Amino acid sequence: MIPLLLIFVLMLILKSSILLPFANPDQSTSIALGFILVFAYLFGSHLKRLSLPLITGFILAGILCGPYVLKFITPSDVQDLDLLDGLALSLIALTAGGEMNIQRLKGRFKSISAIVFFQTVIVLLGFVLLGFFGRSFISFLEEGTLLQVFAFSLLLGTLSTPTSPATTIAIITETKASGKYTDLVLGSAVVKDFFVIVIFAFSLSISKSVAMPSHGFDLSFLLQILEEVGGSILIGLFIGGGIILYLKYIKRDVTIFILSVAFFSYQISHNYGYHPLLICLIAGFLAENFSAQGKRLISAIEKSSIPIYVVFFALSGASLNLGALRQTWLLALICVVWRGVLKFSGTFFGARITQEEAGVQKWAWAGFISQAGVALGMAIVVEHNFPEWGDEFMALVLAVIAINQIIGPIFLQRLLFKVKEAGKKP
Amino acid sequence: MRAIYAFGLLILIAFLGARFITKRKVLSPINYFFSAGFIYIFLGLSLGRSGFNILSPSVLTGLTPLISLGLGWVGFLFGFQLEAKYLRRFPRKYKNLSFLQFLFVFLLGGLIFSLALKQFFPSERTFLLYGIGLAFGLLLSVNSPTLLSMASSAIPKRGNYHYLARFLVSVSGFWGIFGLAIFSSFWHFPIFESKIFLRGSLLLMFSSGFPILIGYLFHVLTKKKTSEEQMLVYLLGLVFFVSGASFYFNLLPLYMSMVLGITFSNLTRIHEKLYPLLLSTEKPLYITFLILVGALWEVYFDYRLALLVGLMILLRFMAYILPMPLFKVILDFPLNLPSRFGLSFLSSGGIGLAFAVSLKLAFPLPLTDLFLSVALFGILITELVSPWGVRMSIFKLDKEEKK
Repeated sequence: MIPLLLIFVLMLILKSSILLPFANPDQSTSIALGFILVFAYLFGSHLKRLSLPLITGFILAGILCGPYVLKFITPSDVQDLDLLDGLALSLIALTAGGEMNIQRLKGRFKSISAIVFFQTVIVLLGFVLLGFFGRSFISFLEEGTLLQVFAFSLLLGTLSTPTSPATTIAIITETKASGKYTDLVLGSAVVKDFFVIVIFAFSLSISKSVAMPSHGFDLSFLLQILEEVGGSILIGLFIGGGIILYLKYIKRDVTIFILSVAFFSYQISHNYGYHPLLICLIAGFLAENFSAQGKRLISAIEKSSIPIYVVFFALSGASLNLGALRQTWLLALICVVWRGVLKFSGTFFGARITQEEAGVQKWAWAGFISQAGVALGMAIVVEHNFPEWGDEFMALVLAVIAINQIIGPIFLQRLLFKVKEAGKKP
Repeated sequence: MRAIYAFGLLILIAFLGARFITKRKVLSPINYFFSAGFIYIFLGLSLGRSGFNILSPSVLTGLTPLISLGLGWVGFLFGFQLEAKYLRRFPRKYKNLSFLQFLFVFLLGGLIFSLALKQFFPSERTFLLYGIGLAFGLLLSVNSPTLLSMASSAIPKRGNYHYLARFLVSVSGFWGIFGLAIFSSFWHFPIFESKIFLRGSLLLMFSSGFPILIGYLFHVLTKKKTSEEQMLVYLLGLVFFVSGASFYFNLLPLYMSMVLGITFSNLTRIHEKLYPLLLSTEKPLYITFLILVGALWEVYFDYRLALLVGLMILLRFMAYILPMPLFKVILDFPLNLPSRFGLSFLSSGGIGLAFAVSLKLAFPLPLTDLFLSVALFGILITELVSPWGVRMSIFKLDKEEKK
């Protein structure tokens, strides 16, 4: 506890108004990063004693030190660290892709497909129903037409569908989990991410055509999806092929090579609108399944995974919009509970139809609560496309993500302990 | 498309490195250039503003923490080897020699560079020119231990000259970096400002006191049983924190991290446990740092730059070769110190680069841009000849001594 307090007090002094005249606030990124690395890790380690996951500690530390509470990390620090955040996400996605071993997942493909299908359909329908029946409680929908309510709810449902693969893999790595539940949760989270991008494009186009009739139903989005998803897959295959060849023939400076892969994936996706998560998932998947050295690559990344997770999750904590949460906390809470109920139903039906054991039907839903990344990106697109209620929508989604991102890892960790898969990884 | 070219370039360099290095001797210039990672500066150069512009100024802003980490890392590693227990093994005269050598190189280099800069840039403020001149003197006084460490395995008969040279290159950096810290603490304020002494001393005290405190914290954190991953988080986090604090207060990251390294090294008892971790992390961080140094480099050519580079190379030779016999007399040194022993000190390697980048980032001025350019050209050229220098000096002197 003393080191935690000491580093906290030091940062308090460094950021105090007495020293401010000597400081260069434009150069605060590195000090913020160094502080959050140590502070979040120590904070997470203390929370771990209360049986909470490390990454919940990282996220909470990020919130505590972020722009809404102590302001040790300023909004411009968060913005400046976007590139490092992107690098961390790419590395996490590489690991997640590498965990998708075909041999292991072969027997579970039916269950994963069913769970993804039922979760998607039930969550979408459920949120449309919530929109219709609860619109009198949503101030900005009260005066909206039924079609506008439909558009709003469909988009909210779409954004509620995905589960964060980054959080999932972080908890799996932390708990050293392995087994049926682990595969089902990770497999579904990854597969759902692909589908959600496609479904979002459809939902956005449908919503635009019903909420703004002058727009009409625009099929050009199909081309865009093809370009975004197809392009990401192609780049992922290219990079994955490159990794295989590199590991086979060059073998030298592997860490630098992997960092470069992460950097270039981020750059390419950032500049041309592709999905870094998809690119690295595919690349990791390819390296793991089609190369003898894939395991070495993944274990090399996993070895230094803790600093990567600290940076990624502490920054995601610092970026959580507490202002939005304060504004819409009650509605957000209702959405979180409703999403949980729908996730349970979707998982239950998916597992039942594929005759999974009773435990999966009853408990696997707890692995699908976390939500971030993809949903956040989509919320920004919605905000741009629907100026009348885009702001309120964004605030609500941010608040929902904030709650889910805090409780999601705890649910998944508890699940993996409950089904005794934690600590099973050799 | 540019990103793909750059990616291809990176693979090509790694591929060439893998092919070349295994087939060449340790002390061939090309081999040293590859294995010490200097080739990555050119990769960075091609990725930066002077090349594909992938590491554009805005991207570099996003990567500032990595530059800060790189500088901090170089400083920490350098400080970590300065363990009192190890240094005490060497005779007092070795320490006196290191200080005398530092003083001579610094004063000669500082004086000549100050005069040259005054001549080349008559319209610039004298305060700035003399400052940069002294910084050149300090840069010349810094030596890199990397070349001698790599050469150790290739030296057939290691004798007193080898050990003396290793001691000198390890310690000379300390004097140079400490000198730069003193100089930059006071150089913050133009001469006509009031209370320079007080304010400069306060900055120096903060630059030294803060990393000592963090070094102690690091020791406390690692005193109990610590896993490798915990150690990695603490190490990265605290090095970031210290070099970040130096950026935040416009101080020298290299110096503050060196003090962190010295403090921790002299408090901890887990050297054995930490070395493998440092070794496994060092290379990727160092290479990343070199790539970013290359990207920061704005290459331009003019006659003044060429002359200053020439002067730097000339002084690198002269300031180390000329005074050796004199040192022998002044210190009554137990070992003969022929002029050619000075050829062992041509390399300033990564520590020299970090030194130059540190100054440029702490004082972003047109003159520090010039300083960085001259330093990069000068260091890269002397690095190419430094393996030859080691062969001509230590190899032969140790052989002769054994005979």
